[in-house]
Formats: sequence, C-alpha cells, structure tokens
Amino acid sequence: MTAADRRRVWVWRLVILISLLAAWEWLTGIKAISRTPGLYWLDPFFISRPSAILARFAHLASGQARLTIWQMALSTVQSTLWGFLVGVSTGFVAGLVLGRHDRLARVLEPYIVAFNSLPRIALVPLITMIFGFGVLAKIVLAWTIVFFIVFFNTFQGARSVDADLIHAARFLGASERQIMRTVIVPSALAWTFASLTPSISFALIGVVVGEFLGGESGGGLGYLIIQSLGTLNAADMMVALISLGLIGIVMAVGIRQLERRLLRWRPEHQGRA
Amino acid sequence: MTGRRARIVLRDLAKTFRDGGREVPAVQDVAAEVHDQEFVAIVGPSGCGKSTILNMIGGLVTPSAGTIAIDGVPVAGRVPANVGYVFQKDTVFPWRSVARNIALGLEYRGVTGAEQARRVRDAVALAGLTGFEDAFPATLSGGMRQRVALMRTLVVEPDILLMDEPFGALDTHTKLTLHAELLALWEARHQTVVFVTHDLSEAITLADRVIVMTRRPGRIKVIHEVKLPRPRDVIAVRETDAYAHEYGRLWHVLGEEFAGRA
Repeated sequence: MTAADRRRVWVWRLVILISLLAAWEWLTGIKAISRTPGLYWLDPFFISRPSAILARFAHLASGQARLTIWQMALSTVQSTLWGFLVGVSTGFVAGLVLGRHDRLARVLEPYIVAFNSLPRIALVPLITMIFGFGVLAKIVLAWTIVFFIVFFNTFQGARSVDADLIHAARFLGASERQIMRTVIVPSALAWTFASLTPSISFALIGVVVGEFLGGESGGGLGYLIIQSLGTLNAADMMVALISLGLIGIVMAVGIRQLERRLLRWRPEHQGRA
Repeated sequence: MTGRRARIVLRDLAKTFRDGGREVPAVQDVAAEVHDQEFVAIVGPSGCGKSTILNMIGGLVTPSAGTIAIDGVPVAGRVPANVGYVFQKDTVFPWRSVARNIALGLEYRGVTGAEQARRVRDAVALAGLTGFEDAFPATLSGGMRQRVALMRTLVVEPDILLMDEPFGALDTHTKLTLHAELLALWEARHQTVVFVTHDLSEAITLADRVIVMTRRPGRIKVIHEVKLPRPRDVIAVRETDAYAHEYGRLWHVLGEEFAGRA
C-alpha cells in the first residue's frame, strides 16, 4: 500500500464518520420524522444526538460528575485486562497439559464441552452470588469465557505438534523436558497467539455483562449503560457505547501488534516487521 | 573396506506394518554391515522399505524381527546417542532463526555462551549461510533450509549420520551443490553415513557402497561397491567412464525391479 493509498483510505473513513454524525444530528432534529410510523426511534429520546452526547461527555469527563467517564473506563479496561491475562495463562496451561495427556483429555472431555456450551450470561447471577457485587465478579466472568477460547486453541496446538520435529529434537539430544520447552510449547503458542484477538473482545464482553449486574461498587462502563437505562438517559448511554467502541479498537490494535511481534517468524508476517 | 570395524550391524531384520486387520510386510531378511567411516547408500523403488530400515537403525521404528546393533549395543526402540539424523521433510524449527536452529543440539547438551556462539558461527560459515544468522526459515529457500538442517545435525559432531532422502525435494542444481558440500564435510570428518535415496546418480556420487533393494517387501538385492576414487568432484565424476560403468551396472540391476512391476 502506497502512502497515497493509505491517505485515500483515511479520507474515506473520515468522510463516512462526518456524514454519519451530520445525518444523525440533522435527522433527529426533524420532529416530523419521529412521528412517521416505524421511525419513532429516530428521536433524541431514544438515540440522543451528537451535540447532546458531546455535552454529556464533557460533563462526565469533568470533575463535576460523581463517577467520571475516566474512572469508569479505567475500571472496565483494568477488569478486561485482568480477565484476559488470567484467562490466557490458565487456558494455555490447561490446553498444554490436556493436549499432551490423551487419557486425561478423554476423561474430562464431556465436562469441558458441557461447561463450554453453557451460555456464560447464565452464570452471571451465580458468579455474583459467590464473588459479590464488585470488580472480582466481572473479572471471573471474563475469565470463564477467555479460558475456553485459549484452552481449545492451545489444546489443538499441543496435539498437532509435528512428530518429526520431536524426532529431530530427540536426535539432537533433547530430554523430554527440553522437547516440551523447545518444541511443544512454541508449537502450541502459535495456536494460542491466534486466539488472543477473539479473547480480548470476549473479555470485554464478559466484563460489560458483569458490570450490568455489578452495581456501583463494580463500576465501569457497563454500569453507566444500565444506569442510563434506569434513567432513560440516551446521551449517557451513547457516551458509554462510544467509549466501549474506542476501547475495543485500541485493545484490538494492541493485540495485533503483540501478535505480530510474537509470531514474526511466520511467513505471513515476514517483511512487515 | 575390509579390516574396518563394523559399526552398524543388521541381522535378519524384518518389519511388518498393520493396515487395519491386514499385515503388510515392508522389509524382510535384511542383513548388512556398515563399517566405520563408510558411506553407504540404500537405493530402491519407492515403497521398498528403505526409509523403514533407516528408521529402525535410528530407533524410530521397532523391528518386527531381527536385531540392530550400533557399536555392539542393540538399538531397542530408542534414539541412539552419537547418531545424527537428517530428515527428508523440512524439520527446521520455523520459530527459530537460522543461528538458533543450528544451536539447538548444543543447547540440549548444555553447551552455552562463547563456546556455543563460536561453534554456531563456524557452522554458519561452513554452510555458506553467513548473513542469514537471524533470518527465519520462512524467508529461506528449500536448499538453504536443508543446509540449516544439515549443519544443525553436524554441529554436535555425531559420528554416525542417518540421512533419509535429505535432498529429495531440491532441484538438480541445488542438489549438486549440496552433494559437493556434504562430501567436503565428510572428507573432513569421515562420519559413518547411511544415506537413503531413490536417485541412483546421487548414490553413486556419494557412496562407497550401494545397497540395492527389491520391490516391496524390500529385500537386499545386491550390495555394490562403487569403485570411484576419492575425493570426488561431484560434477566432473559424472563425465568419467568409470561413473558411466557404475551407473549402467546399477541401472540394470534396479531396472529389473521396475520391470518386474509391470
């Protein structure tokens, strides 16, 4: 991609953003539209409007608010990162162990499948009961989701290690431990890394769902969303949603950079270092 | 060759694979000796079990009958020490750079620091890979990757080398270059080599003796001594009458096996 191409892409992105915001502001200002059947939601009451959202954002960003947007965003980001970290590390270890122990994997398979097919949202009340209203509950919820994503990927990776690489290591004098460290772990890691991008997104989902129920002590942007629903405050809800979108982008980009660094040996990453 | 001590001894070796409920004999009645510092090639039609023999010597496959001994010690389904193995398949670790791949065996043996760096540097230079130390295998050609695999095996100085069609996937030109390099390395150290190939000219160029296998189930058809002087120039040797003579003889023997198939 040349510099000119890249500039053109950015120009178009900007054009779309500005047009959307303008249409939003303009359409929600026309009373006649919201009276049209089927278009009732095109009303500031439901979807707010950019100017109102900006005003609420300014308020929430200032010190006047009891809970500022920064505090809430920080709470959400921190819980997401914790859930992600704990989920990735435990999922990786479990995947590696079960991936290399066939019998154990066969014994545990029905439990793993059953737990994984349980809708995670159904667990929220139970998790809240155990861990209380607060930060811990939402981290645990994010963990239960991330764990399985990483676990299944690593499991697959640990099982599909090329047998000839293990033979080659053995001929070079490797002990079983050295084979684990230099062949199996790196092979499995390649699969683990591929699961990081969905993991961070799902960690965020888990945290926000946890915040729906977590109350003020849990804080976070999910709390702002539920709070706005209670007060029918569309502008605050939009502030929360837009902030979540921005956080999602930043995290996805961060993970992609990390993945590119960790997997720089892969052919698809060559020449892009 | 007489007078040299036998290092690898195969006695009445047989291997039968199970294919579902069926028993498929792959190798039968293989008896041979490989002497110290000898370069032996095994050739035969595909499916004749030549790689199976190599895998049994390397302890990767357990024989169904018969015995294998290396230096008098029976090989019992485990990888023998002091034996290097170069695979047909690309077994360079893709997540390690060239230098770190070559360092593997040293790392496993606890050779670290300056000593490791020195030996890796020498191996890299010897393989003509200088400048590519930090490159990942994905950026290398097939020939370069196989050079890395070869140097990775040689850097720990095994005195027995098992090679399973290591140059099978390479183009003719790269293959000849690697033949020359392999022979130069071998002239310097005289490892005991068992080299499996389906390429007759490769076998004649490299080996002291060529074991010709029959079709499946593989038996030894002929063990032929290659009477070409050493050191050999891999290109020039092909233009000599002696080479043509050796080739013609072995081609005839091997041709019987291919003809019998029709």
